[in-house]
Amino acid sequence: MIEYRIKVARPLKNIFTDAWVWRMALRDARHNFSRLFLFAASLITGIAAVVAIGSINYSIQRDLDKNAKELLGADLVINSSKKIDSKLLQLLDSTNTEKAFDADMASMVLFLNNQQSRLIKLTALKGNFPFYGKLETKPANAYALMKSGKLALLDESLATQYEVSTNDSIKVGNTIFKVAGVVTKIPGGGGFTSTISPSVYISMDVLDSTGLVQFGSRVGYSLYLKTKEADTQAIIDKLEPTLKKLNYTFETVKSRKEGLGEALKSVYQFFALLAFMALLLGCIGVASAVHIYAKEKREEVALLRCIGSSGWQAFNIYFIQVFCVGLLGSAIGSALGIAIQQVIPIVFTDFIPAQLQFSLSWEALLEGLLLGSIISVLFTILPLISVRFVPPLSTLRAEVKQVKVVSKTRMVAILLIVLFPVLAAAYQTQSIVTGVLFSIGLAVVLAGLYGIGALLLYLSRRFFPHHAAFTFRHALSNLFRPNNQTRVLVVAIGLGAFILATLNIIQNSLLNQVEFQGGKNQSNTILFDIQPKQKEGVLQLIKGAGLPMNQVVPMVTCRLAEVKGKSVETILNDSTDKRPEWAVSREYRVTYRDSLTKPETLLEGKLQRFEKGKKDSVFVTISEAMHETLEVNLGDSLVFDIQGVPIKTFISGIRKVEWSSDPPNFIFVFPSGVLENAPQIWVATTRIEDAVVSSKFQQQLVTQFSNVSLVDLRLILNTVNELFSKVAVAIRFLSMFSIITGMIVLAGTVSNSKFVRMKEYVLLRTIGARTKQISAITLIEYAYLGFFAAMAGVVLSLGAGWLLTFFFFKIQFSVNAVELLLVTLGVISLTVVIGWLNSRSVISTPPLQVLRKEA
Amino acid sequence: MNDIVLKAEALTKTYTSAERQLTVLDEVSFEVAQGNTLSIIGPSGSGKTTLLGLCAGLDVPSSGIISLMGLKLNAMSEDDRAYVRNQYVGFVFQNFQLLQTLTALENVKVPLELRGEKNITIKAQNLLDRVGLGGRFNHYPSQLSGGEQQRVALARAFITSPKILFADEPTGNLDGENAALIEELLFGMNREEKTTLVLVTHNLELAAKTERVLRMKGGKLVEDSITALP
Repeated sequence: MIEYRIKVARPLKNIFTDAWVWRMALRDARHNFSRLFLFAASLITGIAAVVAIGSINYSIQRDLDKNAKELLGADLVINSSKKIDSKLLQLLDSTNTEKAFDADMASMVLFLNNQQSRLIKLTALKGNFPFYGKLETKPANAYALMKSGKLALLDESLATQYEVSTNDSIKVGNTIFKVAGVVTKIPGGGGFTSTISPSVYISMDVLDSTGLVQFGSRVGYSLYLKTKEADTQAIIDKLEPTLKKLNYTFETVKSRKEGLGEALKSVYQFFALLAFMALLLGCIGVASAVHIYAKEKREEVALLRCIGSSGWQAFNIYFIQVFCVGLLGSAIGSALGIAIQQVIPIVFTDFIPAQLQFSLSWEALLEGLLLGSIISVLFTILPLISVRFVPPLSTLRAEVKQVKVVSKTRMVAILLIVLFPVLAAAYQTQSIVTGVLFSIGLAVVLAGLYGIGALLLYLSRRFFPHHAAFTFRHALSNLFRPNNQTRVLVVAIGLGAFILATLNIIQNSLLNQVEFQGGKNQSNTILFDIQPKQKEGVLQLIKGAGLPMNQVVPMVTCRLAEVKGKSVETILNDSTDKRPEWAVSREYRVTYRDSLTKPETLLEGKLQRFEKGKKDSVFVTISEAMHETLEVNLGDSLVFDIQGVPIKTFISGIRKVEWSSDPPNFIFVFPSGVLENAPQIWVATTRIEDAVVSSKFQQQLVTQFSNVSLVDLRLILNTVNELFSKVAVAIRFLSMFSIITGMIVLAGTVSNSKFVRMKEYVLLRTIGARTKQISAITLIEYAYLGFFAAMAGVVLSLGAGWLLTFFFFKIQFSVNAVELLLVTLGVISLTVVIGWLNSRSVISTPPLQVLRKEA
Repeated sequence: MNDIVLKAEALTKTYTSAERQLTVLDEVSFEVAQGNTLSIIGPSGSGKTTLLGLCAGLDVPSSGIISLMGLKLNAMSEDDRAYVRNQYVGFVFQNFQLLQTLTALENVKVPLELRGEKNITIKAQNLLDRVGLGGRFNHYPSQLSGGEQQRVALARAFITSPKILFADEPTGNLDGENAALIEELLFGMNREEKTTLVLVTHNLELAAKTERVLRMKGGKLVEDSITALP
């Protein structure tokens, strides 16, 4: 038989030239606008989050360019661990530069108003720093006052924490300072810096009077230069050889800008991906809602096909609707994003330098609209494409099955949907690798949520509570009604629960780690910068306070001069040598002893004692990580420069060190008998259980040994907690968008299944169910849904949390069951509330109205 | 001799389910001339609706040929058949099949709009007047009774002045009074427009009002009779 096709000469119109499809789209949308808008609502929150974060990024980049100098406070900053060399200053004399200096060091401060003390960063300033930007204080003249004598400025957070006011007194080292005011803004400061190490500022003229600058004190010196812009590079060229020789580093406006830009970019990337996650969740919501919408439109499409509409025409009617509403959603989302941008600086205050201001970013706004348009096309095409293949025969026979057609459009849509998260994430993070990794990670999370959700649903069916009360049984059965979106909802709501629970696990593990390390009999208080002559006195003070003496360790400062016979200079100049510059040229603090400590394990070699009088008999041990970094092995030689004296050593052992356990720990350990006469300081560790005892001990220490600093691990625990809380606020803020999106998807699904629900309820009422029972069924149904979603999220977060703590943070996995239970209950409650709010009208609809509609 | 509007040649439709072949229509052949009225009757499952679907190009036969206005429908793509339907065919369904989101007037206009015709509102209004729904232009289907909805469907079917009208149990969902009204309108408008009418029904009284009756049984055409019209 010969097969042939007949082509009819019918006029072909596309979506832009076919006015009828636009008219039909509009007519049909009149009745579906609220439902259609719920599709778009899934997009709003995601777009808002992406636009807000994107806008901040553009704003920061713009502001970085504009205010770069204010971030550094000078044109050029030279940094050193020694006092700025006079040779360098002489060299600068011939240049047209203005100079300012600072010296910073860790020190204890005693607040005399309440006799409390803590470790701070002491910054001594000289000259007119900052040259650019402002050092803002309260009162405004406090900075000028500070320069005039024994007056100090405090970081605002420090003053608030210890309730210190202007004119109170503090003791730093041997000197009592009157508080001139607080610093509210300083170039390069604020945010996390002041949380980790809050500063006290004094004039450099009175630094010596504190008695804190002694041998072995770790002081950082900076020289700030104001140059004529064109001269900066010329000055760098002139100074560079001397800076290299003196082992000084320098920072320019450009390098600070780049450094800060990179750091902010990493922060931006992380938060942008978090925001993007909410958007992708919205995409799933859109696709799911459109899928249901398309199914419901089957009858109408069949009729349109019957009376002459082509498949594409039918498709275009609904595509126009969802695309236009998607665009509207994107516009609302973008506007909302810009509004949220005004709130973000409050939430992200610790991530963003105070010098940066925010302004409206048109780029972000356009990106939001573009992103929304792409999503409105991509994620609606696939579920809508089935409309093209609705058989017109369905008008005569409702049971006619739709043949699954493998169309080119469907294939292209699937391909683009797979590519979309990769490309969009890569665009957001400016990194293809990050885009791919993010997409894989997200796919794993979503698949994990889907899998766990499906398993829970399977188990609830497999072990159906046949003997439970009617309301409980019926509510559970409702999750399996035809066209149910239960699995999609479990994924959408579960993602929010997953983020919150994972965040909680990481926070608990980190805090537990600090608590764990400081637990039992381990030291929780470290005293450092003890001068040899103070050693006995400090030990007596510890004993006198009835505290245990856990460690008393000497510490010698030195640098490497040679590695395996090759001088450090040669290594640094050899471009083929891959050993990092920092490892070769850094300052090391080493100790000496002939035994291992608890946190140490000897992996290779042995501990070899020093044999006096024997040549080449100084054998050191090295930490495992540095042995790999410096590419040295057992027997290799290292020459150390100990305060100008070269000492040749050989590696006799490689140690594994648990760095966070019972500090201080060391990279290099010398044998006894070599460094005893070298200039050194001592470190002592003890354990103080009681906060009052600790406070009293610190007070005594500061009074008697003002230069000795004390690190209270409990304070670190608090600081870690505070830091994490600040990060968590920002993460929670963005996770909120995912949760809201999940709830909108839920609201959309409830709205989509409204009529099915109405029919169910009418039937139940007809056979005698009371409103109370119907309400109970509804509430229980959403409680089940919330429970399954929360469980999927929490179970997955346990896996993700374990992986993150084990591989990324390398800390012990720790879970707070009560807090996870609270997350679960929170998600269940939210689901019930949102579900209930969207179901009220269904429950209150009179049965006759539904029956009439049915008829 | 009148022109042939519809020609079925050895139409066969088989479905395969669970590795079993089910023949629902077996070698059915007949012709319908322009302006004729014909009804297809038979018990449930005899293949009436399948035959109607094939004749209207809503489905394609497993074998055999179906020609509508000389065009071989089974050799056309789905979209081409839709175009042919729009040009030559009108439909009336048992369950009315109105677009719920469109008003009565908009429902009636849709087939002409699909053709791209302009200034069609008057024509649609006239037709609605003709079926007695002059005051209900802007009512939605949910605001109309079953009989009124079927009248809107009739107006929609006739707005394109179709060459052939397929009606599937047009009074099946209506009470006696409304059924009578629809019958009267259907045949009346058919006469006015000189449309060919193919009617599927269980109602023998209704079938008797057509010039010719095809009786189906077990997928086969068992009787093709001319009725004695009054």
